[in-house]
Amino acid sequence: MTPRLRIGLLGLAGLCLLPAIWKVAAALPPFGEPTAQYGPAVNRLGPELRHVSNMVSAVNFDFRGFDTLGEEFMLVCAVTGAAMLLRGARGEDLSARAGRVEGRAVIGRAESTILISRLFGPATLLFGLYMALHATVTPGGGFQGGVVIASGLLLTYLGEGYRGWRQLIGSRVLDAIEGGGALLFALAGFAPMAFGRAYMQNILPLGTFKDVFSGGLMLVENAGVALAVTGGFAMLFLEFMEETRALESESGG
Amino acid sequence: MSILLAMVLLLAALAGAGVVLTRDPRSQVFALAANGTVLTLLFFALQAPDVALSELAVGTAATPLLFLVTLAAVRINRQRR
Repeated sequence: MTPRLRIGLLGLAGLCLLPAIWKVAAALPPFGEPTAQYGPAVNRLGPELRHVSNMVSAVNFDFRGFDTLGEEFMLVCAVTGAAMLLRGARGEDLSARAGRVEGRAVIGRAESTILISRLFGPATLLFGLYMALHATVTPGGGFQGGVVIASGLLLTYLGEGYRGWRQLIGSRVLDAIEGGGALLFALAGFAPMAFGRAYMQNILPLGTFKDVFSGGLMLVENAGVALAVTGGFAMLFLEFMEETRALESESGG
Repeated sequence: MSILLAMVLLLAALAGAGVVLTRDPRSQVFALAANGTVLTLLFFALQAPDVALSELAVGTAATPLLFLVTLAAVRINRQRR
C-alpha cells in the first residue's frame, strides 16, 4: 500500500465518520459545565463528613479508598517487575565505570550544574515532603509528594555524580520503603475490621478542618502511598541508571 | 472559554504534534518533556492542581529520564556486538 493510497483511505474513513462525530459533538454539554453530580456532591458534603479541605484526597483515600488500594498494588507490581528484569548483571558495584560509546567525548559535569542541583535538590526534596504531609489540606498528596521526592533524588544524582548518589540511596532501603508503604496501606484497611467495622472505614478521630492532622485514617493511607511511591519511583530510577554502567566483566578492575 | 485556556489548548496541540513529527529519538524525548510541561499548564489552567503536579513530576522528569537512559543503554549495548 503506497503512502498516497493510505492517506486517501484515511480521508475517506474520516469523511464517513464525520456525520456521527458531528452529531455526538453537538450533543456534548458546553465546555466547563459538567453534568456529573458526583463532584459537586463530594464538594458539598466532604468538608462536613471528613473535615478535610482537599476533596481529591478525600475521594482517593476515603470515599473510593479501595480503588486506590488496587492502583497502589498495580504500581508495586509494575516496579517489582521492572526491578526483576533489570537487577543484576551490571551497575550493582558502586565503582562501576560508566558505559561509553566509542568515539564520543566524555564531558564532565559543569560547575554550574553542580551548583544548581545542590541548591534545588534539597529544596525539591523538602517540597515533596511538604506536599505528602499536607495531603488532606492543600493540592497534592502521597503520590504527588512521592514523585516529587523521587525527582529531587534525580537532582541529587546530577549534583553528586553516580557514585555519591549510589552511596546516598541504598537499594535495600528503597525495597523496604516500597513494600512497607503498600503494606501500611493494606493494614490501614484491615485495622477497622479488628473493631468489627467495615474494611477501610474511617474510625480514627477526624481532627479539625484545615489542620495538617485532619482526615483520620486518610493520613495513614496517605503515608503508605507516599512511602510506596517514593520507594517505587526511586527504585525504578536506580535500576534504570544502573543500565548505563559498563558490564562488570568489562570494567574489571 | 477564556483566552488563556484557548491559548494553552492550542499550545498543547502544537506540543503534541511536535512529539509526533520529531524523528530523532533523542530529540523526541525532549519534545515529550516539553509536551508534559504544556499539559501541566493546561491542567493548572483547568483548576486541577493535583493532576498538574502528577503530570509535572511524571511527564517532565520521570518518563523522559527512563527514555533517555534506555536510549543510552541501547547505544552502549549496540557497539559491543
